[in-house]
Order: sequence, then C-alpha cells, then structure tokens
Amino acid sequence: MAPEIVLQFALATMLPVVATIVFFLLQRKTRFGGLGFWPQQIIIGIVFGAIAVFGTEFGINAYGATMNVRDAAPIVSGLLFGGPSGIIAGLIGGIERWFSVLWGRGEFTQVGCSVATVAVGFYAAALRKFMFDGKKPSWIMALAIGVVAEVLHLTLIFVTNMDAMKQAITVVRACTMPMLLCNGLSVMLSVVAAMLLCGESLYKAPEERAISQTVQTSMFVAVLVAFVATSAFTFVLQTSLSSQQVAELLRINIDDVRTDIEETSDANLLATTRKAAERIGSVKAAKTISLKDLAHELGVSEIDVIDETEKIVASTYADFVGYDMSSGEQSREFIPLLDGTHTEYVQDYQPMSYDQNVMRKYAGVAIEGGFVQTSYNEQEFQAQIGSQITGMTSNRHVGEGGSVIVCNAQGKVVSSLNNEADGSLQDSELGSAVKASAPNTVFKSAYEDVSVYGMYTRTEAYLIIAIIPQAEAEFSRNTAILVSSFMEILVFAALFAVIYYLIKRLVVDNIRRINSTLGEITAGDLEASVDVRSNEEFASLSDDINETVAALKRAIAETAARIDAELVYARTIQRSALPMVFQTYPPHYDYQIYASMDAAKEVGGDFYDLYLLDDDHLVFLIADVSGKGIPAAMFMMQAKTILKSLAEAGLEPNEVLMHANDELCANNEAEMFVTVWMGILDLRTGDVRFVNAGHNPPVIAHAGEKFSFHVVRPNLVLAGMEGIPYKQHELKLLPGDTIFLYTDGVTEATDLNDELFGEDRLLASLDARESQSVESICRGVHGDVEAFVGEAPQFDDITVLALRYVGRKDNDEA
Amino acid sequence: MDITQSQEGDKLVVSVSGRLNTGTAPQLDTELSTVVNEQDALVLDFSDLAYISSAGLRVILSTQKAMSRKKGSLVVRNCKPEILEVFEMTGFVDFLTIE
Repeated sequence: MAPEIVLQFALATMLPVVATIVFFLLQRKTRFGGLGFWPQQIIIGIVFGAIAVFGTEFGINAYGATMNVRDAAPIVSGLLFGGPSGIIAGLIGGIERWFSVLWGRGEFTQVGCSVATVAVGFYAAALRKFMFDGKKPSWIMALAIGVVAEVLHLTLIFVTNMDAMKQAITVVRACTMPMLLCNGLSVMLSVVAAMLLCGESLYKAPEERAISQTVQTSMFVAVLVAFVATSAFTFVLQTSLSSQQVAELLRINIDDVRTDIEETSDANLLATTRKAAERIGSVKAAKTISLKDLAHELGVSEIDVIDETEKIVASTYADFVGYDMSSGEQSREFIPLLDGTHTEYVQDYQPMSYDQNVMRKYAGVAIEGGFVQTSYNEQEFQAQIGSQITGMTSNRHVGEGGSVIVCNAQGKVVSSLNNEADGSLQDSELGSAVKASAPNTVFKSAYEDVSVYGMYTRTEAYLIIAIIPQAEAEFSRNTAILVSSFMEILVFAALFAVIYYLIKRLVVDNIRRINSTLGEITAGDLEASVDVRSNEEFASLSDDINETVAALKRAIAETAARIDAELVYARTIQRSALPMVFQTYPPHYDYQIYASMDAAKEVGGDFYDLYLLDDDHLVFLIADVSGKGIPAAMFMMQAKTILKSLAEAGLEPNEVLMHANDELCANNEAEMFVTVWMGILDLRTGDVRFVNAGHNPPVIAHAGEKFSFHVVRPNLVLAGMEGIPYKQHELKLLPGDTIFLYTDGVTEATDLNDELFGEDRLLASLDARESQSVESICRGVHGDVEAFVGEAPQFDDITVLALRYVGRKDNDEA
Repeated sequence: MDITQSQEGDKLVVSVSGRLNTGTAPQLDTELSTVVNEQDALVLDFSDLAYISSAGLRVILSTQKAMSRKKGSLVVRNCKPEILEVFEMTGFVDFLTIE
C-alpha cells in the first residue's frame, strides 16, 4: 500500500480518538459539562457525524466501492457519550454516504454502506443501554465491537448486491482487512483514551471486576477460541476440497487433449497402413514389391510383412527379416491380427522392441497370410500429425482464466490459448516446474506473470500442460471461508450478546435488586421484603433472606416486649415509692397537700416527698434528677432514700442536703445530679426552713392574692460537687397561704411551635385556681400544661406539689 | 445543634449553638471528653446557645470536674440571659467560671 493511503487511514482512525479526548476534557473542565443532556448529545452527535463524513470523503475508491473508516465515529460516540449522539452521528454519516455517489464515491456499495453506518449508530446505542448499562466497555470488548460492526457492514454489502456476488466478494475481500483493523482499532483506542482520562486501569484485579465484566471476558475468550477453531477447520476442509477440485479440473482437460492427440495420430497412421496393405495384397505377393519404394511413397520409415509364423518375412530394413514378433513386448501386441480376432491395431508412440532407444509408432492391418505393419519415426510422426495438433487447444478454457499448452518433443509450444505463446517453455518458470514434478500431479508455478496451479502429462511425444490461475482456483475456497467467517462472527456476537444479556438479567440485576432491598433492611425498614422470583435459586435466596428478617423481627419484638414488661414493673415500683396518700391518720387539719408525678417515659427522674417528722413538723420536697429512664429512676430512689433517712434523723435541711450531697457524690460514676427544693414547715407557726439545691423557685400566694415566685440564691445541684455547703433560708406562711413546687417539666413544656409554657402561664394557671383545693390546683396546672403542649411529644417528667397552710386555732393545741 | 472548635492562643474555644438537650448532649459529651484529655485551657462559647436542659448541664458539670481534676481551666462565656438564668437557678454560677 502506498504511504499516503496508510497515512490517510491512520488519520481517519485517530480522529474519533482525538474527539473522544476533546469531549472528555470539555465535559470535565469547561461549562460544556453544565449543558443539559440533549444539547450535549446533539453537539457530540454532529461532531462525530462530521468525522464519519471525513471518513467517507477520504476513503479510497476500489472496485467500485469506497474503502473507509466511517463507522468508528458513530460507534465511539454512542458507546462513550450516549445513545442519542451515536444515532445522530450514524444518521449524518449514512445519509452523507448515500448522496456522496453524486460526487464520485463508490456506487456499488451505496446502499450497503449507508444502511450500515446508520445501523451502527443504533447498534452502539443499544449496546450502551442494554449491555453496558451506560458504562464504558473494556478495551478488548471495544475492539470486538468495532470488528463486529464492520462485519455487519460488509455482510450488508453482500446482501444488497446478491445479483453481483462476484464483484461483491471482490469488494469485500479487498475491504475486509483494512476496514476491520482500522475501525476496530479506532473504537478500541477511543475507549482506552476514555479509560485513561477517567484514571481507570486497563487491567482490573478480579475483586474490582463486576460479575458482568468477568462473564464478558470469559465468554469473549471462549467465543474467540470457538471462532478460531471453526475457522481453521473450515480452512482445512475448504483447502482440501479446493485442491481436489483443481486437480480434477486440470486432469479432465489434460485427458481431453491427450485423447484428441492420440485419436488424431492413430487415425493418421491407420489410414497409411491400410493403403500399404491394399498395395501389398498378401504375404506371398509381398516379395514382389519394393517395400522401400512404397515406404517412401507413403511417407513412413518402415513397412514390415509378417506371416502366420509370427516372423517378419519382408521389411524395409533387411535386418528385421526373421524377427520373431512374439519376442518383444511392444511387437507382441500385434499378434492378435494373425488369428483373425482383430483386423487393425494401432499403438502409441513408444520405444520399439527391437531397439529400446528408438521411438516408433506402429499400426498393423491384416492381409492374406499375415499382416502388414507400418511405422513413423519421430520426424515423420511430427510431420504427419503436427499440423493437426497445432492450435488444437486455442479455444480451450480451463475454468475462466486457465488454459492448456501443448509442446512438441523439442519443447516448442505448438498450441496454447489464442495461440499467443509461440515460443518455447524451455527457460520459463512453467518449463522448470514441469521438469521438477511428476506427471498428473498438481504443481505451483507462474505463467505470463500469473501464479498458477498446473498439471502435465505426455503423449505421443507431446507435452500437455493445463494451468489455472491460483486466485481463480482458490476463489471459491476463500469466498467460503470469508462468508462462513462473517456468519460465524455475527452468530457468535449475537450469541454472546444474548447470553450476556441473560446472565445480566438473571443474575446481576437480581443481585442488585436483592442488594437494594438489603440496604433498606439495614437502614431499619424491617418491613421490606426481597421478592426476586425469576428463577429457582433467587427465589430460594429471597425466601431465606425474608425468613432471616422475619426471625430478626420476632427476636426484636420479643426483646422489646420483655423490656416493656420490665419497665412496667419498674414503673410500679417507682410509683409505690412516691406517697399517694395525702391525709394522715389521725387527720391533720392544719395543712392540705397534694402532689403528682407524670413521667415522660415509663419511669422518670422526678420525685417529691412529704412526711411528718413529728406532729409539728412537715417535710416536703420536690426533686429532678438529670436524665430520664432507668438510670434516672435508680438515682432518684437512692437520693429519695438518703434524704428521708437524714431528715428523719432530725437534721436541719441544710445539713440534710450537705450529707446527702457527699453520699451521692461518693459513688456517682454516671455523673448524674439532682436538683432539690426541700423545706420543713413548722405547723405551729407557719415558718418554713428550706434549702434550694439548684431547683426552680417555688410560687407562693397569700389567701385571695396572686401567686409570685419566691426567689433565693440557689446552691449547686445535689451530687454536683463533694464537700460544698448548702445555705438554709426561711420563709413564713400565713394561714391560707399556698406554696406550689414544680419541676422544669412544667415551665419548659414545649408546644409544636417550640414555645415554652413558661413562668407567666404558670402564674396565670395558678392564679385562676388560688381559691380551689390543692388537688384542683395540681390537676389544673397539669391540665393546662397538657392542653398547651397539645400534639407535641412530652420530653420531660411533669411533677407538681401544692401545700396550703391552714394553721391552728388557739384551742387547737395538739 | 452545631459545635465548632477554634484555637485562641493556648485556649481551645468550643462554640455551641442551637439547643443543648437530651438529644444533642451526647454529641457534645463525646466531643468534649476527647478535648478534655488534650487541652489545659478550655472555653465554652455559648453566644448562640438558645436552650440548655439538665442533660446539657450534666455534660458541663462532668467537663468542669474533669478539668478540675487535671488542674486545667474551664471558662463559660457569652451566655444569653436565659442560659445564665439556668446556671443561676441550678447553682452552677457558684461552681463555673462564667464570663
């Protein structure tokens, strides 16, 4: 191939690769990547379409076709950038190819090429969508995709030129290698470029490969092996068949010519011999005739007369007289003429029995008392029949381009196709090939600068050579191999695609579906179930997973139920620890008290307590443990017990808290703390001695007046820090005064708008009920809080305690 | 709730914004418990803290205790009035260094 053609093809091969690199960079580094899907597809499609047009216009015209690298562009576009761009590029390339015949592109392949280019755009789009799920194929797959596309293209050329098969095959054979190679390479290199730009390795370790890729690779290897094996088998079979056909064809022609030559020379000598027999008449009369004169007259070199004793009785050669015909193999063949079974006999040109170095052709005719035989020597033989042989094969065609050449004993060509060769084969390649090989076998040589297969034979001193151009002899074999290879590639490619698609659908897609459901389950949706039933294996896997999830669900439910049961138990314990009976026995009429605790969870961290130290002293307290749930409940029980035991020992409130603090700090690894407001009311005077350890200030109202906060500077929460002192305060309740204690669950109760219940609402709620009973006050505040919170979830325990000091009448001294 | 850390000289400032309640306190607890081991001077900036619950107080209490044990310093600063009110009500003002 000329260097400029190579360059042209190389350029056309590299253009899609360059465009791939450019578009990848544009998508990543510029605003092009920000364009929508369709604008991008259209621009890419048009550019790759233009590259396809370039491929057509810079193709090479041969055999009425245009050899080109056009299909690579739509394939690359469709595979790497998206189906629509490939289809657009294919349409542009195909339509331009259709009209390109107007300015001199090959007309023969117009339909095939146009349709093929449009088709490969769809082909690439379909592959991207169904086989590769929008991902890049591997580079080896890309090569195969390019090659299969071109096979499809060339097959279309066959299909669209069924009426001119021979030309189609010539075109396809010429185009096959360059087009398969260039388009395949172009697609492969584009994919390689894309992979490198994406930072992917060209080789993937097994754990990085998707199942589909491993399947692809393994199947590709299997298909390749199958293809090579069947192609090799076809080649061997077709070669053997074709060489048999060639040998057969050559042999038939040689035999025809040999028969012609032999019949011609036999007829000639027999006619002469008959004349001699007529002139001689009988064996007896032979002696009266000068055989030499007769021989001269008839143009033969020898005339012999043989009598019934099988001996020569008269001859042109005196030496021959008395020769026994039965003594030589050649001469013995004439003896049947004596017994009347034959009247004429003619022999091939061969060495005579009398002298093996001398070549003769004999014929014999029976006469009375014996027979006459005449013979040509070499010169006479050729002089007599040479003219008939000359030009004998001038119209003989062997196949289409083959012929038969006849040479005489001197090696001079006496007959050939159209009598063109009028020389000698002596120094030609054909001549030496004949010398080097055995007769009636096929040999390779060249004739008139064409490689040929040949076969020769010799008869009557003539050399007959039949030849057929090698190209013609192998045409059917090569066609068979080409067509069967194409079909195989298409069949294997289709098989590959179908198997791959099935595996993907049956295995990979199902695995993805199962994975996605497993993801939902892992994310906490235990109601999700796997339902992949497209085959037995996945159905069973689905069932297994569903059963596992169901078992897990049961286990969780059982555990939850157990915890619930335990919590209910814990709640009961906690409830029973809080005093629920507010009237003592005997009843105290000098105060009224009510309290309630509503835990946000099953168990809470809030608590209250109230007990009489003696007839004159009432302890009442409210507390809030940091945190909630079981730990808070346990801490609360501990704090409550310690506080009560210290108070009952008769300590002042500040001493109670100081000692309780130290005890709670001692073993407080959870670092919890508790706020406490604790007071001791002297029922005789209404004096209250109290300590506030980080708790909300109480609200107090005189009879018939409004409530107000009673704020003192609080001390640190209980269990916050060891060894700190607590300051004791005093306040005085007058008969009819009400003191209300609460936890921050009341003031910090939150509604759906994140608004706090707050101190003002608390005061309003209390003021509205000042004249009511302590129980009504507690229930009323709790009800107001609940109404305020509405639908919002309750985060904190809500605990309230109301105490009204009634006081003692003077005669009421206990 | 958002927590951001920044260095101010040899002090690490941990700014807490949003609501510090039962739900968010564990996050601050985790963050502070690692910081406590590495820092000798810690500042809690509450300029954007809207609410603190007892769970949040617990985290501050345990941080204060941990810093006291290692003779480091903890300063709480820029408290909004409602946060300061909580510190006062719970007696934390006696116990914390509030600026």
